[in-house]
Amino acid sequence: MTTIPIEYYLVLSAFMFITGVIGVLIRRNAIIVFMCIELMLNSANLSLVTFSSYMGNSIGQVFVFFVMTVAAAEAAIGLAIIIALFRNKMTLNIDEVNIMKW
Amino acid sequence: MENLKTLVDSLYLLKPEIAISCVLVLVIIMDLIMDKNKTFLPYVALTGFIITAFLVVEQYFFKTSITQNLQKLLVIDAVGAFFKLIVILASCLIVYFSLISKEVKEAFDRHGEYYALICGMVIGMFFMISSADLIMIYLSLELVSLSSYVLAGFTKNSLRNSEASLKYFVFGAMSSGIMLFGISIIFGLTGTTNLLAVKSVMAAGGNSLTFLFASILIFAGIGYKISAAPFHFWTPDVYEGAPITITAYLSIASKAAGFALLIRFITLGYVQQIDASGAWQLVAGSIDWKKFFTVISILTMTLGNFAALWQDNIKRMLAYSSIAHAGYLLLGVVVLTNQGLSAVILYFIVYAIMNLGAFLVVMLIANKIGSEEIDDYKGLGYATPFLGVCMAIFLISLTGLPPTAGFIGKLYLFTALIEAKMIPLAVIAIINSVVSLYYYIRVLKHMFLTRPQNEDLVINTSFAEYVIVLVLAVPVILFGIYFTPIVNLAKNSVALFLQ
Amino acid sequence: MIINYIPILLVIAAAAGFAGLVVYSSTLFGPQSPNKEKLSTYESGMKPVGTTKERVSVKYYLVAMFFIIFDLEVVFVYPWAVQFKKLYNQYGISVFISMLIFLVVLELGYLYVYKKGGFKWD
Repeated sequence: MTTIPIEYYLVLSAFMFITGVIGVLIRRNAIIVFMCIELMLNSANLSLVTFSSYMGNSIGQVFVFFVMTVAAAEAAIGLAIIIALFRNKMTLNIDEVNIMKW
Repeated sequence: MENLKTLVDSLYLLKPEIAISCVLVLVIIMDLIMDKNKTFLPYVALTGFIITAFLVVEQYFFKTSITQNLQKLLVIDAVGAFFKLIVILASCLIVYFSLISKEVKEAFDRHGEYYALICGMVIGMFFMISSADLIMIYLSLELVSLSSYVLAGFTKNSLRNSEASLKYFVFGAMSSGIMLFGISIIFGLTGTTNLLAVKSVMAAGGNSLTFLFASILIFAGIGYKISAAPFHFWTPDVYEGAPITITAYLSIASKAAGFALLIRFITLGYVQQIDASGAWQLVAGSIDWKKFFTVISILTMTLGNFAALWQDNIKRMLAYSSIAHAGYLLLGVVVLTNQGLSAVILYFIVYAIMNLGAFLVVMLIANKIGSEEIDDYKGLGYATPFLGVCMAIFLISLTGLPPTAGFIGKLYLFTALIEAKMIPLAVIAIINSVVSLYYYIRVLKHMFLTRPQNEDLVINTSFAEYVIVLVLAVPVILFGIYFTPIVNLAKNSVALFLQ
Repeated sequence: MIINYIPILLVIAAAAGFAGLVVYSSTLFGPQSPNKEKLSTYESGMKPVGTTKERVSVKYYLVAMFFIIFDLEVVFVYPWAVQFKKLYNQYGISVFISMLIFLVVLELGYLYVYKKGGFKWD
């Protein structure tokens, strides 16, 4: 049995990360922006787990536990903010949230 | 299995954090039990903060080494204790501000979560200040961020508030995501998340372009917390949209924690040793932080000062001014010496007092006239001479003119720069201070040199408001004239700096 | 080698056979009175056919939010539970109490949500 080379995972992780960053920058819907943020966190998780398993070192796995919880809390707070915003403004389009600018 | 034992044994180092966690739980329980009467909740929080402040003062004199501290996750030392003290004192004042803030009072039914979230932020900042491990750094940063996202949108029925909250959230989550990716790369390169271990791997020749890249990614997370230049975009919007108490809190406490984290990150992860003259020797071949911070700090203060020139909302103006001050504070980090560090500490004492004071006056005026536009400040100096004069003191101090404390803070920063032979940078900083004079004085011009719009507007100040304004205004003048105690405090803290 | 999998195949066959038998017997013996509602496709109470761009009520996010939070905390209980026996033998009851503190704090949050009416639909 041949193992999958570590590069494959890292390339996938970098690809996910870049997709997430670009998504945050160009998407308009707040929910999709949040999903892209989750994608960024999960790409970091993937590389942590990869390194951890290739080095036989459990720190990375433990870290992933914490990151998952943080990501959940972040998603929850994001949803709460969206609800508050939606009640005030009746839209989820980020471009319309613009009363403050310089 | 010895690990768990030492962990339990060193729990006493966490006394302040444990105390504040208990306060958080207590506030929530009180909020649940007492459905009707919630007026005492702020006092519960305040008492808890004062007790914690005493525990932090006790911590200032601890003599411990890093290896004893909780599996090398945390470092407890005098510099950390100093920043914790700034945080906890700012928290006490913010609770007091909240008691007299109209905005917060109106959301009466949700006071429980307001104070609980402030406690949450304090816990996060405490861990941020003392963390020595990348996992701790990430978690504490997130704890602070998550609490402050909610607090920024606390009075949720105004659109401005929820907009601030959303923008804060998107920027915050993105920069912490970038930081996490940087951490994962560093973990991959070194196989550890402990900063000291990372340093030793790096010193053994593990340097590469990847390492440099990862360090900059991690800086994105820290830079966002201190609102340094390329990561500052959230600051004006959030500061303008959030309730004033929270704006003041973010500008002091979370910035203090961010700077402490930055200093910790650099000294633990990249500084090989501190030589006799107090200069920090970087690990050979590591990223050149000196050049990096020089660029960042010039960018930060110039951008902050010039953008502030065009602002019409005073909270937004103070937001840009706080970005500029982050730039000045970075000057103390640029030199990478103990002198620079003590200048940062000194500047922080001064900055905390004067910035809190300025926000307090803005809040008191907004309580009465219901506006934060600079144009509505016309003639206010006559309607309320007391607040007008105090505002003048705070703004002059923020500019950095004698005889106020702001002058002393800037003087020490610039001296540290000149001692490190970075004269061009000092000149740029001084030019920036001159620019800042314009927008600070503009507010005063509106207050004192224009006719009031409404001739019979009289603003009364209650006794509680008098006291708190004086508590902040007097030190600004006092430390401007008699500054030996704060200079000594700064020097002592650095002398006890742990290596 | 492949022979080892035969029991699994048998289980699958038995399950499929039983399910088929039950479904068939209900159509065979049960009373039949079809109407429009009964004949429509069952989709957990939602209309099966319609636009896919329909908006979900924003209240649904609230439920999703609470679910995410309380669901994920379990992640910390798993490693603790796996190691519990070993740790208990070494450190005694304190291992149990430390997890209890975590859970109590978590429950406090649950109680807070409940008391503040977070679970009410309207």
